[in-house]
Amino acid sequence: MNPVALITGGGNGIGRAVAQRMAVGGMIVVVADYEYAAAEQVRAEVEEAGGTAAALSLDVTIAREVKVAVGEAAQRFGRIDVLANIAGGSFYTKRIEDFTWAEWKVVIDTNLKGTFLMCREVAPIMQKQKNGRILNTASNYGVTGSALRAPYSAAKAGIIAFTKSLALELAADGIRANTVAPGPTDTPRVMEKETPEARQQRWYSSIPLGRTGRPEDLAELYYFLTTPESAAITGQLFHCNGGLV
Amino acid sequence: MRLQDKVALITGGAQGIGRAIALGMGQEGARVIVADLQAEKAETVAAELRALGAEALALDVNVASEQSVQRLAERIFERFGRVDVLVNDAGVYLKAPVVSKSEEDWDRTLDVNLGGNFLCARAFVPAMRRQKSGRIISIASSIAHNGAREFADYAASKAAIIGFVKALARELGPDGITVNAICPGSANTDMPRRHRSEEETMARLRATPLGHVLEPEDIAGPILFLASDAAAYITGQTYNINCGTVMI
Repeated sequence: MNPVALITGGGNGIGRAVAQRMAVGGMIVVVADYEYAAAEQVRAEVEEAGGTAAALSLDVTIAREVKVAVGEAAQRFGRIDVLANIAGGSFYTKRIEDFTWAEWKVVIDTNLKGTFLMCREVAPIMQKQKNGRILNTASNYGVTGSALRAPYSAAKAGIIAFTKSLALELAADGIRANTVAPGPTDTPRVMEKETPEARQQRWYSSIPLGRTGRPEDLAELYYFLTTPESAAITGQLFHCNGGLV
Repeated sequence: MRLQDKVALITGGAQGIGRAIALGMGQEGARVIVADLQAEKAETVAAELRALGAEALALDVNVASEQSVQRLAERIFERFGRVDVLVNDAGVYLKAPVVSKSEEDWDRTLDVNLGGNFLCARAFVPAMRRQKSGRIISIASSIAHNGAREFADYAASKAAIIGFVKALARELGPDGITVNAICPGSANTDMPRRHRSEEETMARLRATPLGHVLEPEDIAGPILFLASDAAAYITGQTYNINCGTVMI
């Protein structure tokens, strides 16, 4: 029986690459995204390549939607072996005094609360299976902080500590939980805002490997953390940033 | 086969974690050099590798000796002409409280565990730079983060490896060489048994959040990942492999 992977934010960027990598690795992938059309497109790409996939519309900040989406995935495929929480974003770059409470909430809820809601819903399924792997997504900013991204940095740091606690709670049930921290990665969302030249200027001198990340670089790390090769790894943080941090 | 025809050098490859790494590399298609102070045991691992169908060479080395590492490099370049993967696993583990630790023991621990990393990097980095590719993976320890009573020198040497690895990753990144560290928790090898009874050792090994006894193969898996093309964008990192006993 093929393992089932549920990927939030699976419609674009890193999430899309992760969905494709998991499918190549033989998993059934459930692509959940706020943008349903994007999720649907990734589903079609995966199936065209010979994989099995489903697409779901999901706003991870709404508990009711999370419950419905996880229920649908579990019912359709009978189990959830891998949960990759990739939905998130920094949304704003501005000084702390210019953030409204509503903006603060958007950033914290999308990144941190969404991760909590997904884990809360999926963990009992994995506990029944006595098997599961949870992959949460932080950022190098969750460790170093970032001027003009205070709520994002806080949310990502929160995810790192949340995941450690979760790993301790779920270890006895054979469930592993780890965090992946992408560095600057060439996703469509960031490439829209910046020309390749501007990106090169900004990053290349500070990244020892001399290039920004590709979604595929991240996908390999997420995939590794689902395989038996990482069987003894839980509660840990994995940077993938070319040596920036 | 993720390491087809890569030349991989594993220091301290004769037993325990080093042996599991060597065997794992061989299974992935690498040509493996098992280098160890214990030449006979290294030869045994090389024979195991050949039985698996891998090309293997056992060489004796004292990683704390400049001349010995130099000789090792000469013999490797003569036979293989290159090194793609360097795994620094050679280490010593000498028990004594700080107040009664001898200067000799301190020097030996720091020279082998940390100095070996330096001497091997110095010997093999120029070839990796010429190749514009390479992987260096150094074995530290969860003790680097947690400390351990009566192993202060060991803790210091292993924490220093992490700092060294980060600096080296910055130096070598522009040449396409990645450098990472691994911090294993206490694993099911001879090492923890040197200072404890069998019963006590197994009880401690089982007392992890995952309830899984950490085997040498659990350490080898992530090292194979870091040595492979899949980890091309990962450098300067420390992987903690300890069944959840230490989270940092």
